Amino acid sequence: MTVFSNISREVRFLAKQRYILALLGIVFSLSVFAVWSGISETRFQLNTIDRLQEKDDIDRKSVLAKQKDYGSAAYYSFHLTYSAPSAIAFAAMGQRDIYPWKHRIRMLAIEGQIYETDADNPELSFLGRFDFAFLVSVLLPLFVILLLHDLRSAEREAGRYDLLITTARKRQRLWLSRAIVLSSALAIVLLAPFVIGAIVTQAPLASVGLITLVVIAHLLFWMLLTLGFTASSVAAKQNSAQIASVLLSIWLVVTVLIPVGSDLAIDEMVESPNGGEIVLTQREAVNGAWDLPFNATWNEFLATHPQWKDMTQMGDSFEWKWYFAFQQVGDQKAEDLSKSYRTATLAKNTLAGRFSLMSPPMLTQRLMSSIAETDTNAAILYELKIREYHKELRDFYYPLMFNEKEFTLETLSGLPKFSNK
Amino acid sequence: MSAISQVTRDEWRFWHRTKLAATILVIGTLLTIVSAVVNTIEMEHTSHEREHLQQTSETQFLEQPDRHPHRMVHYGHYVFRTPSPLSMIEPGVDSFTGTSIFLEGHRQNSAMFSDQRQASGMTRFSSLTPSFLLQVLVPLFVILIGYASVTREKEAGTLHIMITQGVNLWHLLLGKYLALLSSGLLMLMPLVIAAIWATFTGESLLITSSFVTGYILYILVWSGIVLTVSALSNKNSVSFTALIGLWILFCILIPRIGSSSAAAIAPSLGKLEADFSVLEELRKLGDGHNAADPAFEQLKKNLFTKYNVDKVEDLPINFRGTVAQYSEEKLTKVLNKFAEQRMQEELSQAQIARQFGWLTPTTAIRSFSMIIAGTSLETHHRFLREAEILRFDFVQSLNKVHQDTLSYQADINRHKDDKAARVNAENWQVLSSFSFKPDAATTRLSRSVPFGFQLILWAALVGFTLRFAVRRIS
Repeated sequence: MTVFSNISREVRFLAKQRYILALLGIVFSLSVFAVWSGISETRFQLNTIDRLQEKDDIDRKSVLAKQKDYGSAAYYSFHLTYSAPSAIAFAAMGQRDIYPWKHRIRMLAIEGQIYETDADNPELSFLGRFDFAFLVSVLLPLFVILLLHDLRSAEREAGRYDLLITTARKRQRLWLSRAIVLSSALAIVLLAPFVIGAIVTQAPLASVGLITLVVIAHLLFWMLLTLGFTASSVAAKQNSAQIASVLLSIWLVVTVLIPVGSDLAIDEMVESPNGGEIVLTQREAVNGAWDLPFNATWNEFLATHPQWKDMTQMGDSFEWKWYFAFQQVGDQKAEDLSKSYRTATLAKNTLAGRFSLMSPPMLTQRLMSSIAETDTNAAILYELKIREYHKELRDFYYPLMFNEKEFTLETLSGLPKFSNK
Repeated sequence: MSAISQVTRDEWRFWHRTKLAATILVIGTLLTIVSAVVNTIEMEHTSHEREHLQQTSETQFLEQPDRHPHRMVHYGHYVFRTPSPLSMIEPGVDSFTGTSIFLEGHRQNSAMFSDQRQASGMTRFSSLTPSFLLQVLVPLFVILIGYASVTREKEAGTLHIMITQGVNLWHLLLGKYLALLSSGLLMLMPLVIAAIWATFTGESLLITSSFVTGYILYILVWSGIVLTVSALSNKNSVSFTALIGLWILFCILIPRIGSSSAAAIAPSLGKLEADFSVLEELRKLGDGHNAADPAFEQLKKNLFTKYNVDKVEDLPINFRGTVAQYSEEKLTKVLNKFAEQRMQEELSQAQIARQFGWLTPTTAIRSFSMIIAGTSLETHHRFLREAEILRFDFVQSLNKVHQDTLSYQADINRHKDDKAARVNAENWQVLSSFSFKPDAATTRLSRSVPFGFQLILWAALVGFTLRFAVRRIS
């Protein structure tokens, strides 16, 4: 019962403090703004994908209707791929403004197409978006520091410290219950808009629970850190502002210096091929093929597609099957570079994950975007899905071209469809 | 005067004694030095690398063997953007935009391979660039150094004593202001040195001096804010909390709210979606690969009248080349129309975000600094435009070679006799070399005027509130 009475006393006491109420009010409105802008962004992306699907369908139908052979059909028709934001993505937009989430591809060499990005406005990306994950990872520690740094020192400066100490039955419990009340209030104003947002977007319960846990864990970390420091003998000699300065420096180290330092270290540790080299290799291979004897292309093509070895006879000096074969060979030649480029991106991401163990704010941010599936891993996964779909297109067209099947639009209605699952 | 400088000296002596302020000052200055050095090296490196890639790409193009000219149109060319000298201090949008573009016939590709896409993702909030340090962290350092400059005297009761002894309050505050300002300027020194360095490596003096002036104004504003709040508060802790609140608001919150609002207020369709409308218009133009496309009937008739013939074969020029030229021109007009539209959309989004400079000095200095350094959205757009001019130029020159040098007979029989349908590799010399320079100094300056004005307004506002604070104390 003492705990409860302690807490109810603290609530009554704190409710009268205008400064605390104002700060909580600000945090609440920030959280509302973050959730609102996140939801409006995901809605925008979902609507865009809907519109794109519709336009893509109409466009391809009208293009295919004009074709007379499968080669031209494959050459002239584009196919939409996309990665829809998850229902919880509004809380952490992650890397979605840097990596593409929509792509239209053709059956030409994939390496020449996949690096095209329809990225967001670079100036807005540079300024940074304000999403819920940013609020929790970067700003939340500052709010905790502002609320809790002067627990003792404020009382000391107001001259109530000794009185409080002697009237409280257990000293530690006094500060702890006050800190718990403040932190819970902070958690409520922060999480309430998020939970409402999650209900609106019908986010799965598990991800909502996980994000809530991450938020509370981050909050707890800073609460305990602040409490621990204010209870230390160093802090006992300092005034409120000095205590806060020290806590701010800790924030500065873990939010700014460690991430920046790790970024430099990671760049040194991981050797990444220059992206330009991939597209250059692919271009040289594809364009060079025109001047090579047909056999040079067929040999390399048959190495990966032996099933067509009896079908490579050429009537004319141009045939679609040969054209698409050297597109395939172009991809094969750039494959190693392209793989090591992806591996480097993933290796950097894994290292970043390890380094972020030293920086709770970075860890929080990474965990949130991983739950929301908006992180680098999700972006690479989408890239792999595009590649997989591109392969399906090839597998669909090759038999039609090599077996010289008669062209019918009906056959084309069996074209593979991109699925986001 | 001596009264003012006496206060300034006392303030410095106090910081020296209390260690905390001195530590912050040393850390702040060291950080800016390190970041300036690291970025300068990095910038020089990328600059050389990109110039090298540009040269390689040009030689590769020129070294291609004899070919059908249209094959070179599809072989294409790469252009790379070399960074501007001041990007070692203010990289701006550079790491978020692609740095190379593939130029080919019939298409406008987007810029590929932005640095952020290959980065660890750790630098989305903070970065070790002098601009981030100066715009976001230095204000925090100035706050930590100066939050108590007046409240300290109030808490100790010395302010009251000094006033009754006849010390002029303005002199006292000016002295403290100068002390605070000088500490901020000390952290600005690496930037000044880097700017001087940039002047030597080819940036105009007008640009570098306005760049430094902008940052001095910014420090002036923050020192003023810190002093005003300290003068208006009665307790150290109140002054401190209020200042940290203002710092979060001005340096972190409002700029980001500005960018989120811009995206929400003026959503942009994105290239992919706009491309559908482009494709729709392009299909009306006819396929430039197919000279028999009915879209080119009128062109054919005009040529027949001009040369007084009635068969394509009798024309003195290669009709297929003429069609390629004609359709590329029409197509480019459509592409440019949409590209301009898209750039306008991006620019108006950026303009909305930049208006938040009226609400926070940080956005004001950020826009000012980016524009002056030549790393803003406008410069990126100019890169896109110049790349497009080069693209159109070499594609059309190759199409002209196609029309004038390659015979029509050889051309239509190209699938049967591939060797005859080629032109001499000397024709590849039509490619002009590409080197991207930042905008002219005057262009950048005139573009930055509104944001310079935002900064001046902030300085005036801070001066005004300081006067209000002085009245309240006395």
